[in-house]
Formats: sequence, C-alpha cells, structure tokens
Amino acid sequence: SSRLFAVIRFESIIHEFDPWFNYRSTHHLASNGFYEFLNWFDERAWYPLGRIVGGTVYPGLMVTAGLIHYVLNLLHVTVHIRDVCVFLAPVFSGLTSISTFLLTRELWNQGAGLLAACFIAIVPGYISRSVAGSFDNEGIAIFALQFTYYLWVKSVKTGSVFWTIGCCISYFYMVSAWGGYVFIINLIPLHVFVLLLMQRYSRRVYIAYSTFYIVGLVLSMQVPFVGFQPIRTSEHMAAAGVFALLQAYAFLLYLKDRLTKQEFQTLFFLGVSLAAGVVFLTVIYLTYTGEWACIHVDFFFPRHTVFYSHLGPFYAKIHIPIIASVSEHQPTTWVSFFFDLHILVCTFPAGLWFCIKNINDERVFVALYAISAVYFAGVMVRLMLTLTPVVCMLSAVAFSSVFEHYMGDDTRREKPPAEDSSDEDDKRNSGNLYDKVSLLTMLMLMLLMMFAVHCTWVTSNAYSSPSVVLASYNHDGSRNILDDFREAYYWLRQNTDEHVRVMSWWDYGYQIAGMANRTTLVDNNTWNNSHIALVGKAMSSNESAAYEIMRSLDVDYVLIIFGGVIGYSGDDINKFLWMVRIAEGEHPKDIRESDYFTPQGEFRVDKAGSPTLLNCLMYKMSYYRFGEMQETEAKLDFRTPPGFDRTRNVEIGNKDIKFKHLEEAFTSEHWLVRIYKVKHLDNRESLDHKLRSVVPKQKYTSKKVRKSYLFQ
Amino acid sequence: MNEASSFRRRAARRPFSAAALGVSAGGLVNEEVKRTVDLSTHLAKITTELVLSNQGHSAVQSFILSVEPDLAPHLAYIGASVKGDGEDDGLLEIQQSDIHGHSGDFYKVHLASSLAAGAQLKVKVEMTFSHVLKPFPTHITQAERQLVVFQGNHYLYSPYPTRSQTTRVRLASKTVETYTKLGNPSKNDEIIEYGPFRDVPPYSEDTMKIHYENNTPFLTIGSLTRTIEVSHWGNIAVEETIDLRHTGAVLRGAFSRYDYQRQSDSGISSIKSFKTILPASAQDVYYRDEIGNISTSHLQVLDDSVEVEVRPRFPLFGGWKTHYVIGYNLPSYEYLYTLGDQYALKMRLVDHVYDDQVIDSLTVKIILPEGARNIHMDTPYKIDRLPNQLHYTYLDTFGRPVLVVTKDNLVEHHIQDVVVHYNFNKILMLQEPLLVVGAFYILFFTVIIYVRLDFAITKDPAAEVRMKVASITEQVLTLVNKRLGLYRHMDEVVNRYKQSRDTGALNSGRKTLEADHRTLTNEISSLQARLKAEGSDLAEKVGEVQKVDSQVKELVCRSCQEAERLVAGKVKKEAYIENEKNLSSKRQEFVGRIDSLLDAL
Repeated sequence: SSRLFAVIRFESIIHEFDPWFNYRSTHHLASNGFYEFLNWFDERAWYPLGRIVGGTVYPGLMVTAGLIHYVLNLLHVTVHIRDVCVFLAPVFSGLTSISTFLLTRELWNQGAGLLAACFIAIVPGYISRSVAGSFDNEGIAIFALQFTYYLWVKSVKTGSVFWTIGCCISYFYMVSAWGGYVFIINLIPLHVFVLLLMQRYSRRVYIAYSTFYIVGLVLSMQVPFVGFQPIRTSEHMAAAGVFALLQAYAFLLYLKDRLTKQEFQTLFFLGVSLAAGVVFLTVIYLTYTGEWACIHVDFFFPRHTVFYSHLGPFYAKIHIPIIASVSEHQPTTWVSFFFDLHILVCTFPAGLWFCIKNINDERVFVALYAISAVYFAGVMVRLMLTLTPVVCMLSAVAFSSVFEHYMGDDTRREKPPAEDSSDEDDKRNSGNLYDKVSLLTMLMLMLLMMFAVHCTWVTSNAYSSPSVVLASYNHDGSRNILDDFREAYYWLRQNTDEHVRVMSWWDYGYQIAGMANRTTLVDNNTWNNSHIALVGKAMSSNESAAYEIMRSLDVDYVLIIFGGVIGYSGDDINKFLWMVRIAEGEHPKDIRESDYFTPQGEFRVDKAGSPTLLNCLMYKMSYYRFGEMQETEAKLDFRTPPGFDRTRNVEIGNKDIKFKHLEEAFTSEHWLVRIYKVKHLDNRESLDHKLRSVVPKQKYTSKKVRKSYLFQ
Repeated sequence: MNEASSFRRRAARRPFSAAALGVSAGGLVNEEVKRTVDLSTHLAKITTELVLSNQGHSAVQSFILSVEPDLAPHLAYIGASVKGDGEDDGLLEIQQSDIHGHSGDFYKVHLASSLAAGAQLKVKVEMTFSHVLKPFPTHITQAERQLVVFQGNHYLYSPYPTRSQTTRVRLASKTVETYTKLGNPSKNDEIIEYGPFRDVPPYSEDTMKIHYENNTPFLTIGSLTRTIEVSHWGNIAVEETIDLRHTGAVLRGAFSRYDYQRQSDSGISSIKSFKTILPASAQDVYYRDEIGNISTSHLQVLDDSVEVEVRPRFPLFGGWKTHYVIGYNLPSYEYLYTLGDQYALKMRLVDHVYDDQVIDSLTVKIILPEGARNIHMDTPYKIDRLPNQLHYTYLDTFGRPVLVVTKDNLVEHHIQDVVVHYNFNKILMLQEPLLVVGAFYILFFTVIIYVRLDFAITKDPAAEVRMKVASITEQVLTLVNKRLGLYRHMDEVVNRYKQSRDTGALNSGRKTLEADHRTLTNEISSLQARLKAEGSDLAEKVGEVQKVDSQVKELVCRSCQEAERLVAGKVKKEAYIENEKNLSSKRQEFVGRIDSLLDAL
C-alpha cells in the first residue's frame, strides 16, 4: 500500500521516462490489437529513421496490461488503460511477494518464507521499481524471475517434468518481459554446473535441466526481439555448454553401468580429458572476452556495449559516454546499498552462511544467486533490483532461524527440562539466559521495526515522485505543484502541427512521444549513437552551425529543460557535458570537450565561462531573455542580480542573447521547459520597387476603388 | 453550395409562405425602433425594442422578424417577447419561414393574442450572433492589442416600413479606429449612437462597419460532448469533453514568457483562466485531459453553485487551442422524478462553461439505466436526434440505452432544461446485486467442488492411507474425549450422591457409565483394528490409550465405591478425603498420559 503514495499525493499518472513509452505502446496495443502491435512501425520516433516497435521491445509488459484491460472490458468493467498501467506494478509486487514466499519456503521453511514475503513487500530497492505509475518492465519481471526460480527449485527437488514445464512457461514470460532473463539462463546452468562439481548429480537434476533447456530455448525464441539470439550470442552459450556437459555426464554414468571397470576407466579418461579440455577452453575464452561475467542484458542499449560496462565499473566511463551518462548505470555506492536495503544488507550474509552450512541442492542455488547478484549490483545501480529479492530471502532465513532458536524454544520445550533439574543454579542460569534471549529478540524486533520505518520513509520521500509533476513546499507547509512539463508537452500536443519534429535531448524523447504525441529525433531507446551525437552536436554548436544540422534533420521545434528559475538541478545545462562528450565521440573535429571548460578546467556558465560555451545553442536557448529577469519575488535575497541562475548559483555570463534562426515558441510557467521554433529560411531579398511598375495599371485602380469602399 | 441548396429548399416552400405573409405584410408598421448592438464581448447581441402598429384592416396573429443575409448564418439565438407594462410576458413562439424575393432568414412570431387593426404592441427582440466580429489585423504579436471589425446594418432589417429608428452600439473599449458615419453619429466613450432615421423603407440595408479594440476573450468551444449517465442508485454523472479555441487574432511571432510575466498588458487578449459554474450539488469534480489531472484549477463552493476556476495548462493566445474533460456527480433526487414505473429526468441540456459562451457543435449523450423503455425526449428548442446507441459499463448485460442529440452554434441562451421520460421496471434494480451474488456463488461453488472432489489422474495410495488414518484418528480423538467426559459426568453423579445419598441414582449412573463406556471402548478398539489394517503405527498408541483408560476407569469405579462406603459410614471422612486425593491425583496422572498420547496422535 505504500506503493500508492504517489497516486494519493499526485494522481494516477505514469511516471518517469520509460514508462511513458510502455504506456504509449500499451495504448497502441489496446486500441489496435496484438498483431498490429507486433507489426507496429513507429514513425514518430527516431526521425527520419523510425523504429520497428514490435520487434524491438519485450512485449510482456504491454501484453499483460493489455490483456488485463481486455478481460476487464469484456466483463464491462470500464477501466481506462492508463489506470491498468498505473496499478499494474503494485499488483505484480503482490504476486512477487507470494512467489518469494513460495521460493523461501522451498529453501528453508514457512516462517522464513513469511518473513521474506514481508521484506520484499516493503524493501525500498524493489519499491523503487514498483510504485504505482512506474509502468516498467522491471515491475513484472521481478515477479517472473522469482516465480521461475521457485519453479526451478521445485523441479530440481521433485525431478518432475510438470514443474519444469511450468518453470519454462514462467521463463518464457520472463523473456518476453525483460532483458534480465539472461540472468536466469546463466544462473540456472551455473547451478547445474556447480551441482555437478559438488557430486550432487541426480536424475532429478538431469530431467529438470534437459527439459528446461530445450523447452525454454524454444519458447524464448518465440519472442520477436530475442529471435535467434539464444543460439547465436555468447551470453547464452554457457547454458548450451552446461547442457552438453550434462548429457555427457549422464552418458558416462550410463556407460559405467554397462561396462566393466577396466573399459570404463580408459573411456572415462579419454572422454573426461577431452570434455574437460573443451570446457576449460570455452571458459577461458569466455572469461577472456569478458562475456562470461556479463549476464545481464540491458534493455536500452546495443548489447555488446552494455556487456563491457558490466565488466568493470570504469570501463563505460572511458569508452562509451552514452551509457555512462545515465545515472542508473553508475557503480553502486555503499550509501545506496544501505538506502535500498537497510538492515537487510547486514543480515543477509548471515542467511547465506546458514544456507551454506546446511547445504542441499536448492541452497546451492540460492547461494549462487546471492553471490552473482551482489557482484552485479556492485557494478551498476539499476541491477540492485536483482539483488533485492535474494537479500530479502536470505535475511528472512537469518531472522527466522534466530527467532526459531530463541523464541520457539523458550515457550514450550525448554521449560520442562529446566524445571525437572530443579537445581537452583540452573534456574538462575536459565533466568539469565531468558533475559539475554528476550533482550536479543527485543533487539531484533527493534531492528525490524526500524527497517519498516525506514522503508516507509524512503518510499514516501524518494520513490513516490512521478518526476513529471514536481512539488515544492512553501514556508507555511502548503504545497505547490509545478506542472511545467505537462504544460509544455500539452502545448505541443495542441498547438503545433501534427507532423512537426521536435528535437530534444534523448531523455525527453519518450515523454514527448507519449504526452505531446509529436515526432522526436532521439529517445530513451538509445540504439543509434550517431544520431544522438548529431543532436548533441547541434546543441553544442553555435547557432548557425546548429541551424545547418537542424535544417538537415527537418527540425521544427527544439525543446529544452531549464531549471535556472526554480533551481531544478536535472536540467539540460547540467547534462550538457554529456552531450558534448557524446558529440565529441562521433565528431571529434567539430566538438572538443576542452573548449567548454575554462582554462582552469572548470565548467562555468558565468562570465568566466569559455566563450564556446557561452555561445552554443544550448546555452543560448536556456538563457534567452533570462538576463533581463530580476528576481523581484525572490524571497531569500533581494540583492541577486538579474539573470541569477538558482540551480548553479551564479549570474549568467552572456545576457545579451539574440537569435537569428530560432524563435521562442513557448516557455512554461516556471521556465522549466522552453520550446523554440526553428524558423524557415528567409524569403529571398524582396524585389525592388521599380520592378513593381510592371503591374498593370488597371489592377491598381481597382484596388483603390476597393479601398475607398472599405473606408467610406 | 450550402446557400444554394437552402435557397432551393426555400423556393420549394414558397407558395405557402407567400400566402401566409400576404395578409400581414400590408398592414404592419414599425412605429418606433430602438436597436442596441452590444459588441462589448466577442458576441454581437442585438436587442431591438420595437413598437408595432397594425395599420391594416384586419387583426394580425403573427409578424415577421428578419435577419440580414450577411449575418444570418451566424445567428445563434433569436427570441421575442411582448413587453407589457411591468414584467415581460415570456417568450413568444417563433417559427422559421421565408419570403419570396428577399434573401436573409425570416422568422414568424406568433402573438399570444391577436393585434387588432389600429392597435399597437411593444415587442422586444433579442438576437445573438457568434463569430461576426472579425479580428483585423488577423495576426498580432504578443505586445499588440486586438482589433476587430464588425460589419452590420445601420437600419433594422424588416419586411415592414419603419417610421423612426435609433441604433446604439456598445463597444468593448474607447479605442475605435474607424466607424461608418451615416447620419452623423455621436460617439461617447464606448457608445456610438446612430439616428434617429425616419421613414425607412422595408428591407433597407446600409453597411455599418466599426473597427475597434476588443480584448475580451475570444473563446470558442469547438466541440462539446456532454455525457449524462443516470444511475438509479442515486447518482447522475456528468462529463463534458471540451475543445477550446481562441478565435481572436492569431499570435504572430514569439511567445515570450518573460514579457507575459513582467508586463501586465502583454498578451492582453490572451486567456489565462475562466470560471465554470456547476450545479450547487456537484460533487467529486475533476478536471483533466489525456495526460492527467490539470493541477492549475480551483474549486469554490458557493451557496447556489459550485464555481470552478478553470485554468488551461497554458495561457491561450490567438489561434491556440486546448482540450479538457470536466466531470462531476450529482445526486439524482434533484433531477430525477418518478411516478411508479415512470421516470422523468429534467436536466440542463447544456450547462455553463464560461460567460458569453459560444459552442460551435454540441453533442449530448444521455445514458439511461439498463432496461429503460418508452423513451421520449422534450427539448426546449429544435435539436437533431441521432439513433440511439448502447453503452456497456459495470455489470451490464444487454447494455444501457443512450440518447444522442447534436446541435450547432449555441450560446448562453441555450442553457435550458431538457426532459427525458422513460419507463423502468424497479425489479430490474435487483439485477446487478443478483449478478454479483451469483458470481460469488459460482466462485465459491467451484471452489467447493474442487476441494471436495478428487481430480487427480493417478491415485496416490500413500496419501489415501494417510487421509484414512487421519480420519480414523480424528474419530478416535472424539471418542476418547467423549469417554473422558463420561468420567467427569460420573464424578458429578458421585458428588450428587454424596449429598443426596440416593443409591438408586448412583446405581443407574454407574450403569449408564458402564454401558456407554463399553460401547465407546468397543468402537475405539474397532477403530484401532482398522488402523492396524491400514498398517499405521498409531494403532499401538491407541492401544496404549486403551490400556491407560482401563486404569482410569478402574480408578473411577474405585472412587465410586469409596463414596458408597463413605455414605454408608464405613470409612471416616478424613480417610475418605485422603483416599480421594490419592485417587484423583493418580487419575490426573493417567488422564495426563492419555492427553499426551492423544497429542502424539
């Protein structure tokens, strides 16, 4: 229920950036049907390239929402597709906590399952992706992930084809929902592999994995976006390798039954050395190319680039600025670990230890899960999401075994023996023990309570803002809503031609497409780096150079975000260096990052800033007429000079900004969004007056007559 | 083309209208005419007060109002009333007709009482025209003011001769660029007065042209779809989908937020917000568009209305448009009248959106409850009715009937009530709850069926045995508990015996105990045999229970005998108590053992 803060505080609205695209395609699906959706060519994105949406998205999310909407409407429950989309994530997080309960129950016991379900229900790391309105792949993918794992554990335990098929179907759903399915297709083979190494091979494992690999492979290839990747790309090769290994192992065991020891040993020696050699080489190769480690595929980026970014935290920063420019792709800090997981981050190693201590087949699995997830979460903030469920499970195991040990016993079975001995010393000891136990349990409960408080606090403060609508608080505590984004987008939607092309930085591409319904040049599906670089180049060039680029791209409007008036820090000037860097990556001749720094190497927008910066298009668009603006209503300081940028706390350097090829078309109420119109080419030089005498005289007189009639 | 076709239509109807007009045209004369042309808003409201005098020879039932051909297509509303001494007598009935040989629109006004020959009558005529004020220049910058041109008629366009006429024009501002100067009009601030003109012949036209500054909001509702959903559960939901457009001079060049915020006269003709007045009982008002709630509105609840300050997301400049949805709920008791099965809904066909509103095209959908029959509609004015539709919403099976009506070019005068009559069987009210009940019933029933019946393809013998054993143990448990109950009962009997010393009661009690105990023990041992047959190791435990129980039984019998002996005086009281204590503690122990055994079962 804490996931609904956003709806209560604001309204039932789609949040952030990507959800807007998902919403838009769901809307398309709901209104045009499934096949139309699969064949959808979106000409509104990536002008002039367009985008084949049906083949480049994971359709699970849209199909789920569309299906729910369809069923509800079939029952005449007239719910708007937007509401379905907004509330999908909270509903699925409920399912997630159920599947977490099931999985933990399989791993440990019912009590731990219950605790794990409670943890996953409130842990901020997961809430961040599943608040109402956050209509994103991750919301349903975590459910699919947990459920697949549950079914996998179940099928390993029972060795029944039934559970394995269930696991495959769940895996198929996961594949259709999120690129993170690669995590599953590598973790499960890893599990099998480790089981083999630990001499824990059994017929159950063989049945489960063989069925899973084949059926799962076939099913996953049904998703258009995935296609033939499972048999072509390296990140799926581990699964194939383990499959082959398992077959070989099973075959060897079979031979062992049939052959004499002598024969077998020669065969075994030959076979094993061969197989081991092959596997060893493959592993070496994979490790060498770094792809073994990269088992998460990012939805947003061309695959290979993201792999490298998973390799090590610093790789991307140096080589691929576009990936590094996303805040979600930064390496995780300790603070954010604690922020998102709080006490669980401390207790989950204990759970892991409990698991390893009483090891069995499925606990091997969860241990592997935990270790790999920890590694990936360390690399990238957004992969915190895959870590969260396992942390919840293991912490639940830790808490539950502690409670079982101390609480379960003292109420019932510890009493009689203590009284039976009826020794004074014993009694005193046990009394002390009770004190300690109760103190400890109290402490644990306190921790859990603090955890709950922390979760609620984080949810309400950090994760419940739609980021489309901003809220600010006045001195008296009343709330102001800054609705500038929607104001500007809606202006675009209503008051521009239906086919205009809007240029903006790619962050806003999905929102423009979703809310303004206009053609964009680049958007959050950053599949074409050079196109983005071109936009970056236009933004960072001077006006006439930018005009050339914009003319060649048929740009009609340019949209920028400017936070200088209200002090919004996520604006385009603060992102500007990334634009420069990305542009430099593709056009190193025209754009140089060093030009935008002062000789001292600072990025400054005031008078000391570099002249290139002060005259580039982005700067001019952001600060156009801002220099005249005196903070008359500034409540804090009356002495601020005109043109004082409240985000960067400086007075801007270039106050006299004139445009030749652009024209201010719209600026939202708090100047947050500014839209400029790209003027068409000027008319040719107007003809000389002398030439006018060619006009026949009669027409001239008739004109005069008409005129006199008008003002008679 | 439209003109041409309408002309042909008129021509076809000519014989009738010519004959109808033939009588009255001769006799009527406009004795004195006072025209007021109100151009202070974006509408042109022409109010004409005229004194008609019948100078013919026969009484007149009706007279003709006419509208200039230039203005006729823009006529949104026409109304005429007879002006009595005090109050108005209400509106007269008006019917469109035509006159051969003259262009323009003609309306025949039926008088309530005929006008005798030689008599005079004061009539007030109101006409409202939309879109007749043309911005000129058509494009202005943000800093400029909006100038508009009105082109009308100096004279009253009438099929009757006019004796004397004055025309007063009220403008929006003092600033007037030009105005036609027929008859040397006097201008005083916002008012221009023409006339008096004397003895104007019928159908005289002379272009009056005024070019002046008008910064009032030129707001036009392009299309308005009003959906009224009636629920018999006490609610009427109203939703209006509105396309708004600023139809004044189009903004040319840049829109500068800086100027707009800093200079009060910048963008003076733009629209920042306006007020919509909703009915007083309106609740749950929402104001949103495709991308969510519009957070820039305010709601004010007044005594007789609810006022919404509607602020579009952005200020509307000339040529800009916006689109929004506003909706609210009303209690149905204020609008829905019922008599038995007959219902009547009386609501405004169109409601207030803003002052001096213009609606280019209106569609009203009235959704009646499922099962409404015999629907008919009384409209206050002529309106096009489209074929009924069906609407499906929560818990509908065969759909709700939807009345759809449309009309073009509406102004404030059209805010009038419409009455929809229909029949509705009240039994149908039960349909929806029954549907829900039925659905839940089916749900629970399937769950019951699922839980009770075994759908497994393969039989699991172990599970079956387990279940059998469980059911047998269950039985054993109840039986053993019953048997323990017997002992307690016996204790009571003994206690009673100790007081009453009634040996007969004791004996009969003992007998029943014996009998019951035997039957129960037999049952338990048969169950034990069955358990054994199932191969359960619980059989042994049950056997143990039986053994312990026989000891308990013995103890009970002993205590009984002891009590007999006490009553008979064979033992001393102290000894008895001592004995009893012993026995009961022993019994306690045995019962405890039985309990622990039962727990283990």
